[in-house]
Amino acid sequence: MGLAAADAAVTNNNDCGMTGKKPNTTAAALASATCALLGGISAEPVQAQEEKDWSFDTALLYYGESDSRVQDISLNVLAIRSFIDDRILSLSLGVDTLTGATPIGAAPFNGPQTFTSPSGAQVSTRSANEIPLDDTFLDTRVALAATWQQPLGRLNTVSAGVSISDEYDYLHLGANFKISWDFNKRNTTVSLGLAFANDEFDPVGGAPTPLTPMLDVGDVSNRNGDQSKNIVDLVLGVSQVINRNLLVQLNYSFSNADGYLNDPYKILSVVDSITGDPVARVPTPGIQGPSHEYLFESRPGERTKHSLFGQAKVYMNGRILDASYRYMTDDWDIDSHTIDLRYRWPLGDTRFIEPHVRFYTQTEADFYRTSIIGGTAFPTNASADYRLGNFDAITIGFKYGWKTEAGNQWNTRLEFYSADGSVPGNLLVGNQAGQEMYPDLDAIIFQLGYRFGK
Amino acid sequence: MGSPCEVLIESDDEVLSKKLIDVVATEAWRIEDKFSRYIPGNIIGRINSGDGQPIEVDEETANLIDFSFSLHKMSAGAFDITSGVLREAWSFDGSDNVPSNTRVNDILARVGWEKIGWQSPCIHLPQGMQIDLGGIGKEYAVDRATAIVLKLTNQPCLINFGGDIRASQTSVDQRGWQVGIESLQNDQTTQRVIRLQQGGLATSGDSHRFLFKNGIRYGHVLSPKTGWPIPDAPRSVTVAADTCTQAGMFATLAMLRGAEAEAFLEQESVQYWCYR
Repeated sequence: MGLAAADAAVTNNNDCGMTGKKPNTTAAALASATCALLGGISAEPVQAQEEKDWSFDTALLYYGESDSRVQDISLNVLAIRSFIDDRILSLSLGVDTLTGATPIGAAPFNGPQTFTSPSGAQVSTRSANEIPLDDTFLDTRVALAATWQQPLGRLNTVSAGVSISDEYDYLHLGANFKISWDFNKRNTTVSLGLAFANDEFDPVGGAPTPLTPMLDVGDVSNRNGDQSKNIVDLVLGVSQVINRNLLVQLNYSFSNADGYLNDPYKILSVVDSITGDPVARVPTPGIQGPSHEYLFESRPGERTKHSLFGQAKVYMNGRILDASYRYMTDDWDIDSHTIDLRYRWPLGDTRFIEPHVRFYTQTEADFYRTSIIGGTAFPTNASADYRLGNFDAITIGFKYGWKTEAGNQWNTRLEFYSADGSVPGNLLVGNQAGQEMYPDLDAIIFQLGYRFGK
Repeated sequence: MGSPCEVLIESDDEVLSKKLIDVVATEAWRIEDKFSRYIPGNIIGRINSGDGQPIEVDEETANLIDFSFSLHKMSAGAFDITSGVLREAWSFDGSDNVPSNTRVNDILARVGWEKIGWQSPCIHLPQGMQIDLGGIGKEYAVDRATAIVLKLTNQPCLINFGGDIRASQTSVDQRGWQVGIESLQNDQTTQRVIRLQQGGLATSGDSHRFLFKNGIRYGHVLSPKTGWPIPDAPRSVTVAADTCTQAGMFATLAMLRGAEAEAFLEQESVQYWCYR
């Protein structure tokens, strides 16, 4: 082939002066001499990074709800060990401490209400016209996960992982698998993920039989032992590089939970069909107990969710717009829509700011109700859990990050979350129309993160 | 090139892949044939056996000689293509065979760029002197081969001639290539893994080329000024730069700085990995 020899005769008449290096350095002289040697073809800038053996992503997160509701402080550490040939071991640890009060589901009315605590050992009384909260809520959660990822052949990647998390009344065990195929010159990736989980619930005081009454202190006749559920998740995803500035992702997810899906600490008020006020009850003489009739909630023993998720990442001169939308529907009749927008804006070479806004809306579950009307047949399932109600939420905030000289990254995130629910008029009975029946929620989220490697 | 050479191509196209391997191999052999000091009768052979007569060289050879002259200036004389004759005294075979001062000084009389007459395209070597472009040839061949590959395809390619490497351009997913820096222990393990998306990567140093006598380790990088190994040179320097030539020359220049290798690379804002 004469091609190579002919190329060698190309003369050095190109401009090798503009090297982009600081003048009067060896780097500049060498760049210029090399350019002349190679026939005036100046090269694209080098892109090389040292592969860290270990990289650590740590974050301290504070989540605080207003009105002394749930406060969560969590510490998360993700350690990634990279081996040659793109084999990666990820280990994560999360520790959460939760305190504060949470709505128990009982309807507010214009008189005080007394409840037996979840443990069944004592009572507590809540004032008139306020949404009853349980303030005995206190928990510490420790979560561990490990994932191994490696290429399978030239174009496939597989991963497998296990997870365990433990809190006072809950134990989660999970396993997950994922395979992805690259094709179309690696512009398209199709992935299939499967996850299985088995969760054991050992509620404080035992799991109450659904739709049985809250009883006097010391009466555990309707309490049961450990409960469990199995969850299967499946995610089918496609990501497509449209061009150098646009990446899109589309996911379909299926999730099936089977088993004990109740919140054992949630109750409903039994109310008068006309006034909507809770039906009064008299505890056994000499024993403390609930002031009104309350029933433990009951949810179906199965829940199947389908969701579609679409995401676009747009690169615009160093700025990145990340926009996503998720639609979820389940057989409890909850439909939700989520729109999430992030805009990453570099400030010089080492800093960035990323405003974030998220909109969320959901419809209520078909068995969601504010209360149960006394003297009628009970429905099969009923829950007044505000998380199963109709509500809209907005999250708004920003992330700010900066790089240290050593190349490590700090970031902080500050966000406000506000959820605003409304109870459909046909679910309100009598005086309930004059009460704030849905526990609206405001929360603040603050995170401090640090990423480093060695 | 005296070492294994490879071309890695990210492509499903077998015809293209074979063609790329073919053109890269052709270019590698062309440069080897033309500039290797082991091949008699080529331009280097003719220059070195010129018996004191001026030799006219072709443009490519002239460019390489110009380039080595630039390096000689940049390194204040530490880089010198005439220093190859010192190998007559030094053989880095792991033994304690350190030559005598007298022997080294005798040879040193035949070393030194300033003794050469160079007026492009004519080179005039005094009798007994030799030039050796071996310190540039592999890196130059890698960059030449890359230029040819870039004309034929925009598929990501990695060209590796015995550890002197150039990645032609970044892949769409920016994943790049994982390149291991060999462990100093010669146990087939890696000291460090570099992810190279684009550009050159070259290493200077060879942990198996040294002499050891009276507790002193003599590394294989020789000073053309003293005729002795550069004291306190790192055992291995790897540099990433826009081209393989720049990477290789930076690694060599750093070696020639001895104890100051890291300080030099820092000052030049070069991306490097230095092991002692």
